[in-house]
Amino acid sequence: MNKKQRTLIVIVRFVVLLGYLLMVLAPFYWLFITSLKPKLEILTTNIQYWPKHITFDNYIYLFKTSNFAVFFKNSIILSLATGFFGTSLAVLGGYAMARFKFRGHKLVIYGLLLTQLIPGVLVLVPTIIMYSKLGLINTMGGLILFYTVGTIPFSLILMRSFFDRIPMDLEEAAWIDGCNKMQSLFKIILPLMVPGVIATFIFAFIGAWNDLFGAVMFISSDSLKTIPVGLNMFIHNYDIDWGVMTAGGIAATVPSLIMFAVVQRFVVEGMTDGAIKG
Amino acid sequence: MRKNEPYLLLFPSFFLLFIFLAYPLLSSIMYAFQSYKLTAPNDIAFNGIENFKAVLMDNNFPLIMKNTIIWVVLTVGAQFVLGLILALALSRPFPLRNVYQAVVFLPWAVSSFVIGLTFRWFFNTEYGPVNDILLKLGIIHDKIYFLSDPKMALYSVIIAMAWTGIPFFAIMLLAAMQSIPHEIYEAAEMDGAGIISRFWNVTFSYIKQTILITLLLRTIWVFSSAELIYIMTTGGPANSSNTLASYMFMKAFASLNYGQAAAIGLFFMVLLLLFTFVFLRLTKFEKAGNL
Repeated sequence: MNKKQRTLIVIVRFVVLLGYLLMVLAPFYWLFITSLKPKLEILTTNIQYWPKHITFDNYIYLFKTSNFAVFFKNSIILSLATGFFGTSLAVLGGYAMARFKFRGHKLVIYGLLLTQLIPGVLVLVPTIIMYSKLGLINTMGGLILFYTVGTIPFSLILMRSFFDRIPMDLEEAAWIDGCNKMQSLFKIILPLMVPGVIATFIFAFIGAWNDLFGAVMFISSDSLKTIPVGLNMFIHNYDIDWGVMTAGGIAATVPSLIMFAVVQRFVVEGMTDGAIKG
Repeated sequence: MRKNEPYLLLFPSFFLLFIFLAYPLLSSIMYAFQSYKLTAPNDIAFNGIENFKAVLMDNNFPLIMKNTIIWVVLTVGAQFVLGLILALALSRPFPLRNVYQAVVFLPWAVSSFVIGLTFRWFFNTEYGPVNDILLKLGIIHDKIYFLSDPKMALYSVIIAMAWTGIPFFAIMLLAAMQSIPHEIYEAAEMDGAGIISRFWNVTFSYIKQTILITLLLRTIWVFSSAELIYIMTTGGPANSSNTLASYMFMKAFASLNYGQAAAIGLFFMVLLLLFTFVFLRLTKFEKAGNL
């Protein structure tokens, strides 16, 4: 490549990266500044791209007047629990899939991939009926169970590929030293797999944190509502209070943003591995 | 005991999957052949293929099928092309790449509820910035009714949907690119391969399998995804932005006609299975030893 070509490539890359950044940030920016505007500045055709009077009224209203703090707490409990149970199941199952040759091994993998073809909406109705028979409807436990089941297939696939990366020798050495399989799993292998465990946890956490339909269907009492459901209640009025809604949108996004930023690298690794290897 | 270990380890996961996924799925298949309306809970009975007839003969059905195809092709196509461009731009190191990556991958971590809300507000005809900017730049002369014009609604939701899915493609393709041995590029350059030839013969051939599996996963996911449609337009105006998935959701939870909703769901699961089968066959995916 000559010098001219190289310069051209650098310029093209810079333009692409900048353009992409603007494209990603523009909607978030609009959401954010709207949440800081007073009502009069929101509902004006003389659009303000920078709020003239920054106010936190929308956030104050959100946390003081509405039930948002309760929704927030519910979402946190729900997502942490889903992350915990989903990851625990995936550690056990992923280990089995990566380290054992057993009858039905292929069937398990194909079965898990097939579940990805099931439209979530299709199982929603029978699940609701089953849940109401089991007394799980309108309970936090029921919702945690629902999301945990939803994350199992992908978490297993993900976890299996993480186990595949750890050399078998390490485990064999531990067995020679007298560890049994469970001991070697918990003492030797899991500490090496922290990134994989985190990626799987975050995957389950974000899934539960962000879901709307499941929570809408299973939860009716106000005290158990999650953030998307709580905010969704405001939306059906003809007059949407965009200030409060956008503030809610920002507040709903912050936890997954923080989580995502911290562990982005692991998630990227995990996503790739899990999906490529199937 | 030894022999049973893997089964024991997998048991909890599969126990839950059987009870809470396989069983509901089977019941749903049953509902598809029953008249099952929540408004008439005492009137549940088998009715053969009545539900399928009702759905397929519905006047709206051709429109919804057409929308579904447009929705899947345009969304997945845009996500793939833009995701590939982003992955290529990210494939060489530059200062602060990690920070940049964390920012541009954000849409992936945000709920479709918040994204739907954001774009609804972004595209707002009176108070939204998109119309304002397009008008000021002289690109348009009349306001666009993004979400309330039947000609525009579907495409507006597609823009939002494409936007959210670009990071997924970029992440997958980027990681695949990073596993390409560097020497191969050097060898190609020595042989005098130009940029296009290197992209085509090295990058593309190396990441082909990743592209295929990502396209498959995304197609399935976009096909069954209804949240953005529900939040931005609820399928309207007049079904102009309804797809099979959102139509099914409305049938179940607005019309409370579970039987017909299940019939739609079953119909489109069969479509997905067929698609997956044909896709894997045509691309000879299994031969590559990836599954």
